[in-house]
Amino acid sequence: MSLITTRPGPGAARAYRFPQVVRRTAAGGQVVAAHLPGQNLAVALLLLDGGAGREPVGKEGLGAVLAKALEEGTAQRDATAYALAIEALGTELATGLDWDSFQVSVQVPVDRLTAAVELLAEAVRTPRLDPADVLRVRDDEATALRMDWANPGPRADAVLRAELFGAQHRWGRPLYGDPDSVAALEVDDVTVFHSEWFIRPGTLVVAGDLERIDLDALAATAFAGAGGGPVERGGPVEVPLAGQRRIILVDRPGSVQSTLRLGHPSPHRAHPDHVPMTLAGTVLGGAFTSRLNHLIREVRGYTYGIRGDFASSRRFGRFAVSSGVQTAVTAPALVESVGEVSRTQLTGVTEDELEVARSWRAGQLSVELQSPRAIAAALSTLVVHDLPDDYHARLREQLLAATVEDVSAAAATYLHPESLTMVIEGDAAVVRDELVASGLGEVVDHT
Amino acid sequence: MPDSGFPWPIETTRLDNGLRVVVSEDRTAPAVAVNLWYDVGSRHEPAGQTGFAHLFEHLMFEGSVNVAKTEHMKLIQGAGGSLNATTNPDRTNYFETVPAEHLELALWLEADRMGGLVPALTQETLDNQRDVVKNERRQRYENVPYGDAWLRLLPLLYPPGHPYHHATIGSMADLNAADLATFQEFHSTYYAPNNAVLTVVGDTDAAEVFALADKYFGGLAARADIPAAPDGRTVPATGRPAVETVTADVPAPRVYVAHRTHPFGTQGYDVTTVLGTVLGSGRGSRLYQRLADGERIAQPDLVGAYGVDLAHAPAPLIATATARPGVSAERLRDGLAEVVDELATVPVTAAELDRAKALLSTMWWRQMSTVDGRADTLGRYATQFGDPARAADRLPAWLAVTAEQIAEQAAELLGAADRVILTYLPEEN
Repeated sequence: MSLITTRPGPGAARAYRFPQVVRRTAAGGQVVAAHLPGQNLAVALLLLDGGAGREPVGKEGLGAVLAKALEEGTAQRDATAYALAIEALGTELATGLDWDSFQVSVQVPVDRLTAAVELLAEAVRTPRLDPADVLRVRDDEATALRMDWANPGPRADAVLRAELFGAQHRWGRPLYGDPDSVAALEVDDVTVFHSEWFIRPGTLVVAGDLERIDLDALAATAFAGAGGGPVERGGPVEVPLAGQRRIILVDRPGSVQSTLRLGHPSPHRAHPDHVPMTLAGTVLGGAFTSRLNHLIREVRGYTYGIRGDFASSRRFGRFAVSSGVQTAVTAPALVESVGEVSRTQLTGVTEDELEVARSWRAGQLSVELQSPRAIAAALSTLVVHDLPDDYHARLREQLLAATVEDVSAAAATYLHPESLTMVIEGDAAVVRDELVASGLGEVVDHT
Repeated sequence: MPDSGFPWPIETTRLDNGLRVVVSEDRTAPAVAVNLWYDVGSRHEPAGQTGFAHLFEHLMFEGSVNVAKTEHMKLIQGAGGSLNATTNPDRTNYFETVPAEHLELALWLEADRMGGLVPALTQETLDNQRDVVKNERRQRYENVPYGDAWLRLLPLLYPPGHPYHHATIGSMADLNAADLATFQEFHSTYYAPNNAVLTVVGDTDAAEVFALADKYFGGLAARADIPAAPDGRTVPATGRPAVETVTADVPAPRVYVAHRTHPFGTQGYDVTTVLGTVLGSGRGSRLYQRLADGERIAQPDLVGAYGVDLAHAPAPLIATATARPGVSAERLRDGLAEVVDELATVPVTAAELDRAKALLSTMWWRQMSTVDGRADTLGRYATQFGDPARAADRLPAWLAVTAEQIAEQAAELLGAADRVILTYLPEEN
């Protein structure tokens, strides 16, 4: 056996390229497209200002129910005929929802894109929304959420969100609602939400070989019959930090793992410290080699994985740590996780760690932005956050230029270990005493 | 209709030590995908050593003679790359996608852990990763409703002694019982250059890759006597269904119906793939139309059917549905079985066939839309069928499947006597 002992250095660096971005106003709406020469597959995505942030308090899950109801027949055909028509093109209607937007998309071989966008627009602009269908979809969605909430995680997430942001606000409640909020929705809630947010033109995002795609024709199809202008989206909201650390215990009797969700509020997406703050998050918990995963998985063997990150939308953000740990080590895993957050806040990051974090995040802009679906998502980010065409190239430069001082300062400013809310979903009878003894904070039972 | 599912160049060579090298140049993006398929999976594990292939996948990230513990991840992520590995009954694959200037680093790392893992493997590392795997088992199989369905289906589908009888995650007792020397022996046996395929796709060319492969892997010794896995091609029919009912902490009754079909890569399995799509992919599928929409006995998001693409024995076709509130497990089970039965008696229409083929075409091109997707595909065809260029045949083969072939296969293989039925019932409160 002979191995080369010396690690090779990098070859000649290639120039970074984000695909050419094309923007135009056509047929009364905006089109943002990326040219992917030679790509056989294309994605078209209609981006609407109808995210969860637009749902009234008490009506959580409205967008998710409407998303399903769009496929229950249109003005032109019933649900079965619609399913057969769109799937005959090789695509399903994919819907997505976040705090800032509602997305509907199709993914097809490029020669079928026009036909697929016709069907997409038919469902979005002219759904049948028959009351009996809407009620059935609502009941199915409530059942689906009940199924999902039988898994570890959703309950803990909901408790953390309510604690961080306050359940009196829409953003203090679950993104997709909960089984009860969905079950309480009425037909009118759905039809009114549709007429308010799904008739406005929105933005058509296209990723594919633009030499084989007629953007004007797609725009005419996507925006036909649409009307109404943009609506004020609201500025960042002020979210206070908790005055003290608390542990909230969510009982899951017999659980062989404890689900950990730790968090506190953090800045919104457009904050000027976004890049150094997210790099601090990467060093602490964003990569496999991060501090949290190294200690809790690789050294201790407490978990299959643990991550920590800053996430943000237009109006708010949060820092969170999440993991599933073996029940018997719940308290030590929690103590050591909080310890890593504190250490990072107090002493910052090292050049060695930061070098990995910035190279990784910068490299991911080449490595992960390949498929039409990934490029369409990147274009959606430009639209939702009002970013320029060269955003990804500039982000790459900012990542590579970030210094230890910048990132350590961000860690010191935006990590708040003394204000962490720590939600533990697990076998309360087994883990409670140890959590109390950990001294991390008051332990309260979620009821 | 495309003539080829792989319209990119493919160049291959074989090093003197038996390592097969596959290169597909594509200069579209400044990235390269590096992918290694090792022809070892859980089908190779003898009784008492289940879970070894998968635990080994973990150990491969924990250091080798020139790479310190956890340095592999750090170097690839520090180069801007993405990486992972997976183990299944057939094989183990390792892959990273990196900015193109770091190709050589990726090859050096892969060579070092192919040729130099055993001296670096310590008891401490073994113990730590055993704990991580136990946590993986808890998280994926034990702590989630229905999480153990796959673990229960395999022994119902394949008899004791069959290479697919046990699940890849394995037995924790087996992992606990094994010592360091046993794991070292496992690596020495299977992680040899002549038991692997190296595939590189992206911003590079064959001459560069062949030279680098020779530089980094060329010094590794071939192993002459790699033991074959037990032959599982023939699974004796029992003449009666295998039925299991589990009462567990689940939110609603759920039924799985499973059958053994043909090995992946055969014409018979191409029929299975199209049949499975007709049966259970999308809202236009028979299962959705009949159980979720028509009779409304199944939850719409949780009804479907799929083949599991295994190549060394008749691969499973699995159909599943979860009851809507108020629907009994019996009614759901009868409904599901009836739709499967009708594949033999109610001919698949041209519209159903076209729908399935259109969905499969998109699925294929989605896999081909990234360099990592293409690299894994070429590695599969080189490993399992001896020629990466055979990747081009799969999509045309799906598109050639006829309604008559589907009806014939349903009549031949999907009968009640060859059926596995697994039912979950919620615990009574």
